[in-house]
Amino acid sequence: MPGTPLELDSVARRAAQELFSGAVVALGPGLPCRLPSGLTNGSGVWLVSDSGFLGFQGPDTDAADQECQPVMMLPGGAYTGVVDIAGILRGGHTDVAFLQPAEVAANGDFVHWTTGATQGLFAPGPAVDMAYGASKVVAVMSHQRPDGKSNIVERCSLPVDGAGQVDLIITDVAVMNAGPDGLELVETAPGWTAEEIEAITDAPLAVSSAVKEMTFQVPTLEMPNKVYSSAVDALKDVPEGATINVDGFAGPGGMAHYLMVGLRDLGVKRLQLISNTAGVARVSAFGAPNVIDHSILVENNQVAKATASYPVSPSASRPSAFEEAYNRGETELEVVPQGTLAEMLRCGGAGVAAFYTPTGAGTLLAEGKEARTIDGKEYILETGLRADYCIIRGHKADTLGNVVYKGTSRNFNPVMATTARITVVEVDEIVEPGQLGPEEIVTPGIYIDRIVLRPADFSAYL
Amino acid sequence: MTSAPENSPAKGKVYPSAQAALEGIADGASVLVAGFAGCGIPEKLLRGLAETGVTGLTLICQGAWVPKEEVYGVADLVSNGQVKKMVSPLPFHPEHGGPVKEMWESGKLELEVVPQGVLAERLRAGGAGIGGVFLPTGAGTRFFEGKELRPFDGKEHVLEFALKADFALLRAKTADTLGNLEYQGTGRNWNPTMAMAGAVVVAEVDQVLEPGGVDPEVVITQAIFIDRLVLSA
Repeated sequence: MPGTPLELDSVARRAAQELFSGAVVALGPGLPCRLPSGLTNGSGVWLVSDSGFLGFQGPDTDAADQECQPVMMLPGGAYTGVVDIAGILRGGHTDVAFLQPAEVAANGDFVHWTTGATQGLFAPGPAVDMAYGASKVVAVMSHQRPDGKSNIVERCSLPVDGAGQVDLIITDVAVMNAGPDGLELVETAPGWTAEEIEAITDAPLAVSSAVKEMTFQVPTLEMPNKVYSSAVDALKDVPEGATINVDGFAGPGGMAHYLMVGLRDLGVKRLQLISNTAGVARVSAFGAPNVIDHSILVENNQVAKATASYPVSPSASRPSAFEEAYNRGETELEVVPQGTLAEMLRCGGAGVAAFYTPTGAGTLLAEGKEARTIDGKEYILETGLRADYCIIRGHKADTLGNVVYKGTSRNFNPVMATTARITVVEVDEIVEPGQLGPEEIVTPGIYIDRIVLRPADFSAYL
Repeated sequence: MTSAPENSPAKGKVYPSAQAALEGIADGASVLVAGFAGCGIPEKLLRGLAETGVTGLTLICQGAWVPKEEVYGVADLVSNGQVKKMVSPLPFHPEHGGPVKEMWESGKLELEVVPQGVLAERLRAGGAGIGGVFLPTGAGTRFFEGKELRPFDGKEHVLEFALKADFALLRAKTADTLGNLEYQGTGRNWNPTMAMAGAVVVAEVDQVLEPGGVDPEVVITQAIFIDRLVLSA
């Protein structure tokens, strides 16, 4: 006789072993919601609920997770809306997604929440986004239905919500890899043999040579340190030819001057800047001739290309450093309208490959681009834009990387922060988690990789 | 999306009742309804919508299920027979069923099931003036069937078009008289996105303050999106 299936809390505890320090973790409805209670303090990871939580634990009465159980925001947690959650999930910002599918196939196909009574109508909810965007997708579920039918199948019997996306299945009797090679049994619940598990699994099950018994120790996790000692320290791995998002609206506000100086001091070449301007603060009425802007990188021969909406000086008699370099044939330039640039970045960060925008249609900016009429209006196709690095300017950050801005220095910073592989923020003040309120955080810490304090004696003027 | 501000400064945006705030809604209207898992639901506006007696509505919303029975929601409008169609990622709780399931099974309600992120992106596109977006989520599933597909970076994407509606019903914590909104907790959910995608946008709020009462750094929905306000109590 096989053993009894595990309690669901034990399944959640085993699932917690898939977490690692600093992981961004998407939780689907159902069993995955038990994970927070299985975690010591819920700390060391970012739990993401599609209802709009980032960084939580239970319980609280003011808020509800996607299973409508009250949960509690941890210090450093933030609230956000559904469209931003969709961007987090689709844009590849999550490391692990936990789902409770109704059915998983050996190849990783899955059917999300459904019941016998609702066959033909399905509840994809957030599962489609979660399964697509996460680096690893873990199904946590009962191995069998109450009637004894296997939830693990060779081929799904209902239309699927994700094709080939489940990587690991954790049930109340076993842990299995899923994928193109089919199922592989890697762990068995206490009291169960591989043969007994195979007998209740409705798909071919290979047994790993390293198969072992499941354990239920919850790992101790800590948030990795994000605070760097200096701009140079935070940027020293920027390679030659990197694409870099730099905020820089016009005047000095919102620009990461200290990080720009660090980039200049590192001397890394052939940079491709993505920025609203290509450095006009010095030559515009907003700035002063000695204010730090992109020009310090241009003058140091570090810039190979700019993608910008204001690449040149507003004054023909006072050309910017970038303009002069461009006229000498030393740099490339891609001119993009401001709103299109913002949308390209937003799409890049949110995992949207391309979009039809009406702005620029019928102008020089539309040349060479696909045009399309939708509901009688002309649009052009633009694609999402991502970067290798992003340097942004916040007002305050907590040590988890949550950022608030000040006034219009917000401008491109929040959207740029979502698009880069490595995002570095420069702030006036670094505070402890909890000191920035969950309702006021503009850029959640999941987007921020490195934090540097702008030294109190640092001047934005050369 | 209205071509001119609906309300003169003298008239203001604050309406005396839910029904007054829903003036102009007609049979067959499309309505965005905010709310998620019982939080951020514009209950008073939904009651007002029931009182108007309009029918043939298309409701675009998270779904009908809420954890507390006393919450007035989408399911009640469906029970009233006012709803022709729902567009939703989770129209009803698969285990709890309810009026939406019953009406759908009896053929009296049309359902369009859309993944949550696709619905969010379609509304965002509608609100931001984008005509359509190519999304990667759902490749190889029924959500790609019958639609225009195109590969980007070697991965299949589906073209989804922008979505807008005649009305949007929101629920926020605090407004100023201009319509700047702050939310509470996960009550934020669909509200900011729907605020951008409705032609007439009505927000139900706990309190209305004078301009300046809502800190400009924490405004989530800017007043330019809001046409009408009503107090929840």
